[in-house]
Amino acid sequence: MPKKTNPVRAFFSSVKLTIVLMILIALLAVGGTFLPQQQEAGDFLHRLPPAAAEWLLRLQLLDIYHSTVFYLLMSLLSLNLIVCSLNRFPSAWKKIRAPGFPVPEGLFPSAGVEQTFNVKEGKDTVVSRLESLARKRWGSVDRQETERGVFLFAQKGRFAHLGVYVVHVSILIIILGAVVGSLFGFEAYVTIDEGQAVQEVELKGGRGIRQLDFAVRCDKFTLEFHENGAPKTYRSDLSFLKDGKVIRQGALLVNHPLSFETIRFYQSSYGMSEDNKAHLSFSRNGVRQQPELVLTEGDVFELPGSQAKGTVLRVEENIMEMGPAVKLLISSPRGDVQFWVFRHIEEIKQMNPGLLNEMPLFNPALFKPYEFSLTRVEQKYSTGLQVVRDPGVPLVAGGGILLIAGLMMTFWMSHRRFWIWIFSDGEGASIHIIGMSNRNPAAFEKEIRNLHAAVRKAMTI
Amino acid sequence: MTHTTILSWVTFIYFAAFVFYLFRTVFGKTFWGRLATMTAWVGLAVQSCALVWRWKLSYDLGIGHIPLSNLYESMVFFAWSIVFLYLILEWKAANRVPGAFVIPVAFLAMAYASIAPGVDNNIQPLIPALQSNWLTSHVVTCFLGYASFTLAFGSGLIYFIHPLVPADKDSPDNRSACLPSPDTLDTLIYQGVVLGFVFLSMGILTGSVWAHFAWGSYWSWDPKETWSLITWIIYAIMLHARLVRGWRGKRMAVMAVIGFASVLFTYLGVNYLPGLHSYLNA
Repeated sequence: MPKKTNPVRAFFSSVKLTIVLMILIALLAVGGTFLPQQQEAGDFLHRLPPAAAEWLLRLQLLDIYHSTVFYLLMSLLSLNLIVCSLNRFPSAWKKIRAPGFPVPEGLFPSAGVEQTFNVKEGKDTVVSRLESLARKRWGSVDRQETERGVFLFAQKGRFAHLGVYVVHVSILIIILGAVVGSLFGFEAYVTIDEGQAVQEVELKGGRGIRQLDFAVRCDKFTLEFHENGAPKTYRSDLSFLKDGKVIRQGALLVNHPLSFETIRFYQSSYGMSEDNKAHLSFSRNGVRQQPELVLTEGDVFELPGSQAKGTVLRVEENIMEMGPAVKLLISSPRGDVQFWVFRHIEEIKQMNPGLLNEMPLFNPALFKPYEFSLTRVEQKYSTGLQVVRDPGVPLVAGGGILLIAGLMMTFWMSHRRFWIWIFSDGEGASIHIIGMSNRNPAAFEKEIRNLHAAVRKAMTI
Repeated sequence: MTHTTILSWVTFIYFAAFVFYLFRTVFGKTFWGRLATMTAWVGLAVQSCALVWRWKLSYDLGIGHIPLSNLYESMVFFAWSIVFLYLILEWKAANRVPGAFVIPVAFLAMAYASIAPGVDNNIQPLIPALQSNWLTSHVVTCFLGYASFTLAFGSGLIYFIHPLVPADKDSPDNRSACLPSPDTLDTLIYQGVVLGFVFLSMGILTGSVWAHFAWGSYWSWDPKETWSLITWIIYAIMLHARLVRGWRGKRMAVMAVIGFASVLFTYLGVNYLPGLHSYLNA
């Protein structure tokens, strides 16, 4: 009696549905590559008539991969995969568990690739020889003695039937991993100036600010170029701090993310900070004071041997076409003085004799007995980091490996079954060999020929 | 003499191989077939040497990397993969006909790499995003996949030519005898698609592992990623149609052509869309 099929179940288990869903998903995906998505959609929307823009937004066509329709299609596909697999799995399992005995009806003679040999050895010798030959080839052999003679059965690759299910389960695991990632993970971005530490990151897509349990400091950003001008290295030296203490330090490069606790950091971009770094040194009564100071705008420094304090007012890479310079404010009980320290003060003096008398503001030795000099002004960088937590990654990775394994099982493994029937024939014995394979008949035929040769070799024919 | 000069000769060698395969198909003489196969093997050997030379040269320049890093190198490797896989198939299947339809794709790829404007054949140093051990496995699996799909496409084309060739069973000089039977073509298409599907899956997976390390996300719906998924879906549909619904012959040939168009768009068309993978804004 045929089982009553539930129409809902029948609908979800149909391969037609799978194909339709795959076509729809592919079409939506195509749309997503031609229409600007998410952040990129802004400019595009402004150029459209308002009515068209509203329709695109309402249909979620500018964020297709996160649209209701897309999620719905993916859910239907998942459901389809589950129902389809559950429906078909029992029959596959039956094939895996199928015993070799009793020999399927109608198998002999000639249901597959069959070959008959008449040999001079007696039946028992033949059986024991073939049994050991079969054991060597296939590992294990089943044997059945009947009135018609002895049957041997061996098989390999029966789990090939599982391949399809492994593929389907792997796809479900990957989808699950993506869902877990989007529910429990986050993607954020943060810009850190060199020397600065942050604890807050900006969530992607304007979803607000996220507070981290620790602080990240960018100690240094390094940018290197190849000879042809193409970028060679983007590198951020980072420190991870908890309660103001450095817990870990490391170098972050493109392709080499850093992890701290459950969060991963990626080198994503870089920028020029508004602050430049000035390398400043000074001498007192002509005696150079060590060490060189590295200062940015607003920094305050002490002048040893006096009660004066210096403040950096400005750091310029090139001011008035005269090269790098810093403007300092020196405060002392004598009062405040302000002046510029130019990197190239010697050249400037040579080109404008008497300048320092006319413009004391340009005199690096204005605050006596100190004289300042500027070694260089360095660009201060900021680093752009992507900050990610994705607990779905292990699932996706596992699903990926399973997918490849499943595809290989599906396409390149085959379930091969061999039956050998041996019975007495006069003085000697008669051997019949039949083999069946669920796929790749060409390769199987070769294997059978190979088997025949081995049998011939083991016998006197 | 430079390795790029040698690679431009390889373009002509593949053209010659294509012409010989065509003669073999049209005139049905084994001589042309043997000559075609030999020419293709010579081309493959010369191309392999030139590629190794380029590889070594990059180390001499102090920017050593496998020659798989820009459009020129990928085109050359695409051609190499096509000829390599084709010759293996020819050797295993003992059938020379698809050559007339597969080798010209390798020739076109080489010609495009050599003469198209905007394809820079200089050895360029690797930008930070490309400095990864995943570069090799990702590019090799993707292009072996593309090459397998090219084999399926070539075999699919023959399917369409079949009805055009008068089949005269009595004449020994009958032309359709030069073409493989529809059953053989169907098998060739299927095998090409299966091989390509497994390689493409590996290519997508190695790519997402790489993206996980380089971009911070294993999947970001970048146009190239998306199109690789679209291509994957097209071939998945094709395999389901065949294995579950029993599609054979002409329908499979049509799907092989559609799939190949999607492969080409994934490889080249996508570069005209904005995205992370673009060769153009590199």
